[in-house]
Amino acid sequence: MASRTTSTRRRGPALLWVQENLFSTWLNTLFTLIFGGLFLFAGVALVRFFLHAQFQIIVTNLTLFMVGRFPRELLWRVWVSNSLIVAAIGLAAGASRGSAKAGLEEAGLPVGGSRPREVVQRFWPILLLILVLLSLSRTWVPTGLTIVMGVTGLGAFACGVVLPASRRNWSFFVAVLMLVSAFAVLVVLGGKGWDSWGGLHLTVVVSALGILFAFPLGVLFAVGRRSSLPAIRFLSVWYIEFVRGVPLITLLLMGMFALRFLLPRGLNPGSVTRVLIAITLFSGAYVAENVRGGLQAVPKGQMEAALALGMGTWTTQRRIVLPQALRAVIPALVGQFISLFKDTSLLSIVGILELLSVSKIVNAQPSFFGQGLASVTLPFVGLIYWVGSYTMSRESRRIEGRLGVGER
Amino acid sequence: MSENEVFADATEIKARKPLIEVQDVSKFFGTFQALHNINLRVGEQEVVVVIGPSGSGKSTLIRCINRLEKHDAGRIVVGGVELSDDIRNIQEIRRETGMVFQQFNLFPHLSVIDNIALAPRQVRHLAAREAEELAMRMLERVQIPEQARKYPGQLSGGQQQRVAIARALAMEPKIMLFDEPTSALDPEMIKEVLDVMKELARSGMTMIVVTHEMGFAREVADRVVFMDEGRVVEVGTPEHFFEAPEHDRTKLFLSQIL
Repeated sequence: MASRTTSTRRRGPALLWVQENLFSTWLNTLFTLIFGGLFLFAGVALVRFFLHAQFQIIVTNLTLFMVGRFPRELLWRVWVSNSLIVAAIGLAAGASRGSAKAGLEEAGLPVGGSRPREVVQRFWPILLLILVLLSLSRTWVPTGLTIVMGVTGLGAFACGVVLPASRRNWSFFVAVLMLVSAFAVLVVLGGKGWDSWGGLHLTVVVSALGILFAFPLGVLFAVGRRSSLPAIRFLSVWYIEFVRGVPLITLLLMGMFALRFLLPRGLNPGSVTRVLIAITLFSGAYVAENVRGGLQAVPKGQMEAALALGMGTWTTQRRIVLPQALRAVIPALVGQFISLFKDTSLLSIVGILELLSVSKIVNAQPSFFGQGLASVTLPFVGLIYWVGSYTMSRESRRIEGRLGVGER
Repeated sequence: MSENEVFADATEIKARKPLIEVQDVSKFFGTFQALHNINLRVGEQEVVVVIGPSGSGKSTLIRCINRLEKHDAGRIVVGGVELSDDIRNIQEIRRETGMVFQQFNLFPHLSVIDNIALAPRQVRHLAAREAEELAMRMLERVQIPEQARKYPGQLSGGQQQRVAIARALAMEPKIMLFDEPTSALDPEMIKEVLDVMKELARSGMTMIVVTHEMGFAREVADRVVFMDEGRVVEVGTPEHFFEAPEHDRTKLFLSQIL
């Protein structure tokens, strides 16, 4: 501010901003020069990378990156499955949008439309990734199919929005049914079980199922750890403390090589099932500790008020304590889910062909061997992991903001 | 005066059908004895105000009545049901007994109307619409129906405490327990809460009120109970209690606060 009064010459606003913010003192000037130089260096390096990188390794192996060794003649099943998932998400999102809209109308508040611009702002990392992936494809077929998928999703969204209130629960049921069929379409009637899946597809499936199972497991053990029944408390504490004391890679290896000795004879799950069990158990323990933190943050008076109203312990936990506890730990939980998503890359060590494994094996192909092309494939899978993690992180902040209403 | 005489005195003053009977109740926190052989009977439609210095066991006493604290000796009978370890008895007594807390303890994640409608739905198994209508009637009774869709954090302290009273009333209890309901309020909000409580007393609700509001005690109470160091020191009508207290301890306390 002081510099404005001292500057006597006429200057444009941009130049004034530069002077005030970048060159106000000699120290500021020094930092500006150092960081400006570093940015320039990084920028030049990035442009050079894009000019000289041999993206051929990705173009050739794009299908491998996406679905691993899933039989190529069955790829249509993956597209149908993904379309079902997109439709399910669209329907559920549409229905919740519809009920939010109805709520706002009932309260006499203005209903803001969700404009395309907002959708782009919200999901730009995913949209960017889709663009990158499609541009790496050799044919226009995936682009066409992606458009079909997008239209399906938008159609389902529209259906969800216009659905009458009485049918909204029904739509969530249909969405779940669609998700189940998305799984079934890959497996049944000549399909392939998930031990034959791979690439990004497998990474996403294992992450999603890991989160889906680890969350309720964690909540259960968090509540169990505070139980007044010693047996349940003891079991919960030991489960949590054992799992947290062991590295994930150890659990994965145990799942791969030791689990079958622990299971009854005849029960011999495939490798993906085994690592999924290991990942779920691992994340469940961390989720439990996060949730426990949230449970402790709920004042004792909340429970007393509920009990005084005649509610039972179970109702009190479910309706009063857990909603508040979970809300308090959303950032920690999402952090845990992001970890889980990235930790699926450890499956590459136990011989499962997920995203990171693909980036390694393609470098062993005769046409690309020994050319140091890991410098292309690793940033590529890195980008994919980043898009997933960053989207989860942004969505978590969004949920936090929305639930902030009525916070004490 | 021995404990038994206090008991006799108490029953003498109100010869109504007893709704709450507390007999020889003691309560320990570790080695600290919070309640010493408490005897108290509260008749139907009676308003009993419990006063005393902090740490005298007032709150502990009413928290024992709905089993938020477990008494270690003696008997507590509420509406003919004796409090025991049997969870069904406890639930039955809690359904008949509303409680209002010093810190309101509203559920911050639920709107005002959901705060009130939740227990009727979950415990009395009312349909959603029925429970909402009931909740609106209760909000009208505490005179803030316009706040129904807000969240507790958006209300003033006085409004929050009135919602808490409405929430307890929605279970249509026979008895209301108040644990220092105005102690956490700014002075200008105390009156609106006391007015609601007075209306409730006039409507014939059986009430036990732990409070420091002597004006309320004088105006509304049928009987005043003075407690100190976990004992009932003196019981009497407000006139007797404020005009001619018998015990030195009572006199000292009144001289300090009046």
